[in-house]
Amino acid sequence: MSDQTCVELAKAEEILDRYPHEEPSLIQVLQDVHRAYNYLPCDVLVRVAEALGVPLAKVFSVATFYKAFSLEPQGDTIIKVCMGTACHIRGAGQLVEELERKLGIGPDQTTEDLAFTVKTVNCVGACAMAPVMIVGEKYWGGAKPARMETYLAGGTDDEN
Amino acid sequence: MPTLTVNRRSVTVGDDATILEACRVAGVEVPTLCNFDGLEPWGGCRLCVVDMSLRTWDDDWFKMVTACNHPVEEGMTVVTNSDRVVATRGVVLDLLLARCPETPLIQRLAREHGIEETTYQRNPEPTDCILCGLCTRVCDHIGVSAIASVNRGWGREIAPPFNEPPPDCVGCLACAEICPTDHIKFSTSSTVRTIWGREFEMLRDPATGEAVITKAQAEHFAKRSGVPMSYFEMSDRSKRLKTAKTFEELQVVK
Amino acid sequence: MRIDSAERFAALRAEARQRDESQPRKVLVCCGTGCLATGARGVAEAFAAEVAARGLDVEVNLGVKTTGCHGFCERGPLVVIQPEGLLYTKVKAKRVPEIVDRTIVGGEPIPGLLYKNPANGERVSAYHEVPFYKHQVRVAMRNIGRIDPTDLMDAIAHDAYAGLAKALFEMTPEQVLDEVERSGQRGRGGAGFSTARKWRSCRAAPGERRFMLCNGDEGDPGAFKDRSIMEGDPHSVLEGMIIGAYAIGAHEGFIYVRDEYPLAVVNLELAIAEARRHGLLGESIMGSAFDFDIRISRGGGAFVCGESSALMRSLEGKTGEPRAKYVHSTAKGLFDQPTVLNNVETLAGIGAIIHHGGAWFAAMGTERSKGTKAFSLVGKVKNTGLVELPMGTTLRHIIFDIGGGILNDRPFKAVQTGGPSGGCVPEALLDLPVDYEKLTEAGSMMGSGGMIVMDDRTCMVDVARYFLAFLTEESCGKCVPCREGLKQMLAIYDALVDGRGSDGDIARIERLAAGMQLGSLCELGKSAPNPVLSTLRYFRSEYEAHIADRACPAGICRALTAYEIVPEACDGCHACFKACPTDAIEGTIKELHVIHQDACISCGACFDVCPTQAIRTLPKVELASREVV
Repeated sequence: MSDQTCVELAKAEEILDRYPHEEPSLIQVLQDVHRAYNYLPCDVLVRVAEALGVPLAKVFSVATFYKAFSLEPQGDTIIKVCMGTACHIRGAGQLVEELERKLGIGPDQTTEDLAFTVKTVNCVGACAMAPVMIVGEKYWGGAKPARMETYLAGGTDDEN
Repeated sequence: MPTLTVNRRSVTVGDDATILEACRVAGVEVPTLCNFDGLEPWGGCRLCVVDMSLRTWDDDWFKMVTACNHPVEEGMTVVTNSDRVVATRGVVLDLLLARCPETPLIQRLAREHGIEETTYQRNPEPTDCILCGLCTRVCDHIGVSAIASVNRGWGREIAPPFNEPPPDCVGCLACAEICPTDHIKFSTSSTVRTIWGREFEMLRDPATGEAVITKAQAEHFAKRSGVPMSYFEMSDRSKRLKTAKTFEELQVVK
Repeated sequence: MRIDSAERFAALRAEARQRDESQPRKVLVCCGTGCLATGARGVAEAFAAEVAARGLDVEVNLGVKTTGCHGFCERGPLVVIQPEGLLYTKVKAKRVPEIVDRTIVGGEPIPGLLYKNPANGERVSAYHEVPFYKHQVRVAMRNIGRIDPTDLMDAIAHDAYAGLAKALFEMTPEQVLDEVERSGQRGRGGAGFSTARKWRSCRAAPGERRFMLCNGDEGDPGAFKDRSIMEGDPHSVLEGMIIGAYAIGAHEGFIYVRDEYPLAVVNLELAIAEARRHGLLGESIMGSAFDFDIRISRGGGAFVCGESSALMRSLEGKTGEPRAKYVHSTAKGLFDQPTVLNNVETLAGIGAIIHHGGAWFAAMGTERSKGTKAFSLVGKVKNTGLVELPMGTTLRHIIFDIGGGILNDRPFKAVQTGGPSGGCVPEALLDLPVDYEKLTEAGSMMGSGGMIVMDDRTCMVDVARYFLAFLTEESCGKCVPCREGLKQMLAIYDALVDGRGSDGDIARIERLAAGMQLGSLCELGKSAPNPVLSTLRYFRSEYEAHIADRACPAGICRALTAYEIVPEACDGCHACFKACPTDAIEGTIKELHVIHQDACISCGACFDVCPTQAIRTLPKVELASREVV
């Protein structure tokens, strides 16, 4: 906890106000916290534990169990490469490799300038357009390693 | 009071009994690593698998279940040593031996099942933690929940939050004492106890001066029970002496 | 308007239908995740702007609506023009003025935008004539692509909540149970348990509260029918839940939606809010004496939460660890209260079953698997997307008639069904009629309806390894056989694909698989060996080649495979040169190209782009022996 700087708790309080203060709210609260801060800061987890009356160890357990949560700050743009079966057999692995060559980071890593975080996800349910890559909010279907620069630059729909 | 057979032996047990309890009544030993009397059964280690058949089922139809958490039923048939039960138990122990190759308890159990060396890939970083969950469950049970499982799958481990000294821990040692492989390390001196990287001040018996309990634990118990702190800082011997003295004063014992 | 009686609902329905029929000319823009990715939002906006600018809605009474996923995502963005039913594929926003001019005003189709049948190259004008749609029978997906999922009135015009009205005003809960039983419907989430039996046992269980849950945690990779239903027709899910709740006597409901499905959450939330406003959720539904409300819970990203006891723990705010189910969740489920958990597709069918009667549903399908089933047809097949068909349809019909056959006309090798709990079905079983029992007999599973078609460029050892890697990441880690077993199994497969396999491996795999099947706590671990065992059963020789010959017959496993250019076939087009990520290919345009083996990483990018099939794979060991010579 000591190596992290203090974060603003106001956003967390706003989120907590929206939910009943009980254990079943935990995952929903953590999701909103993750969206607001782009990760789960420890100070916020401590506050969430206290507010919901859930032991801190349980909060930490939940925060590390689910894949949607990260305890480290994420890049501004999150790149998700779908590793579903359809994407796998249509070459999703090559997309991950190309990202490694272009950005110098592997899955679950963040570039030093906090610009990009690369994640692999187990099927986003867009299998009909495999392989699929999501850059920020933008889905790229039939993604090809050779066009990675376009994807990273946030190209337009007509290029899809 | 259902009556069932365990390895052809007939036993009658209480309505709420589990198969494991029925096996014990029948004098049949079933190995377990994650079960502990007084804690709710968990069904994680899978060592206590048995074959089970109900009266209404076809004669040769058996289902494999864990004895620790399966309720008994009138007319149930339990077999603890069928080929597939033995084989499954063997795979479980083989896997545990790969994970914990240097842990005496696992080595012994594996050997009892004819496994000297694991057939699988030996853990390059041997651990004594078998992830039986007893420590976290006992911690929950006493109302502290200072530690919990962290991560999932192969990366699962037991840890305090953020892997730092746990703020909720009271230093009671329940986790360390229940651990079947002595994986959880601690030390207690006359003034300080250390566990999970946290130091606890010891309360000492006013009469004998021996270290009895951590201050945090005494406070936790006092708060939960309403019994004054002074009660907890007495050693067991002092408590007995005090009781004897009270009896003497009251002339209960003549 | 709040619906407070059966009459009020009937009036609203008549009004909705009248509104729908008065406007025969419509432009339906698919706005499912797939089409949105390719720019459907821009297309819909362009239509709306164009129509507004020209004042067309007055002139031709035109309505533009965005719909849910048509399931033909690969060809998106899709636009359907009514009443002709023209299907335009890959529509770009910039072509919208032309479509308005020529088709909507001019009344003629634009051939270049029509779907081209890959089988014969012919353009197909009508939506229902496209082979992909022609053979489908849609029940759960009946309104997807036809209605605007954000418009309750549009849904009601297409029979939404008609089944609910019937249930609430004309049937007792017992009668609802009887009707569902008559339909013979079984759970569409994978295991195929009878819906009516599940509901009955929950109704009979004592409890202070009871819950009706919807499982929208569609985690099987390669399956996306539940996403499509939640996005494209959320009211069908709500209706199914309300009817189910009425039948079991529940007043509280949750929909557990995967975190990876943001659009589904948005559309469900909208639908719930609209339903509440209209008296379809909340107290005294439709003016009856029945109260029920639904909340949405977003999953945290864990495949294991598709398992019922793990899902319930997750709803309780805990880690998704399964519990032994010796006591059924219908008796002791969420918060230890009687609970029913149904899959999205199961619930989406309920409204139609009550509306049309159980017998109508039971008339479709096979002896033991009634009705229709939705599948996600994906992988190396020409037409990929969502299909719904009567149970008992053969795999061949699905893959070749609907799917249009294998991509690039390569040979078919296998179809993977049932996700990580399923298996691979080989060519010899292509005539297998698809139902719960037949797939299980073939060593696979129905699962949530994923069908991943594989061609000869798919290594079955690699496929099994893929699922093991997936599950190793997704195992919760509570029980030993699953946690340790998957890890060890994956280690064996890592060695196999790396050319480090040894003679005893197959026996070791089989022993471990048996231990995991029998010993694991939940279905994730128990079924984890299925991809392993089914590939071993049908493709054993591929395993043996990996071990004995250090060769990957499909030419996929990189450590075992080399690529080279066949000089006679290379026309020097330079495509491979451009595709190679490591600059391992040398050559100038119109001249023979060469692959430098020392720089080649065997990724196969060149193979995939070569238009003349001039690139071939060979085992690396062969290459080595050639050098010795």
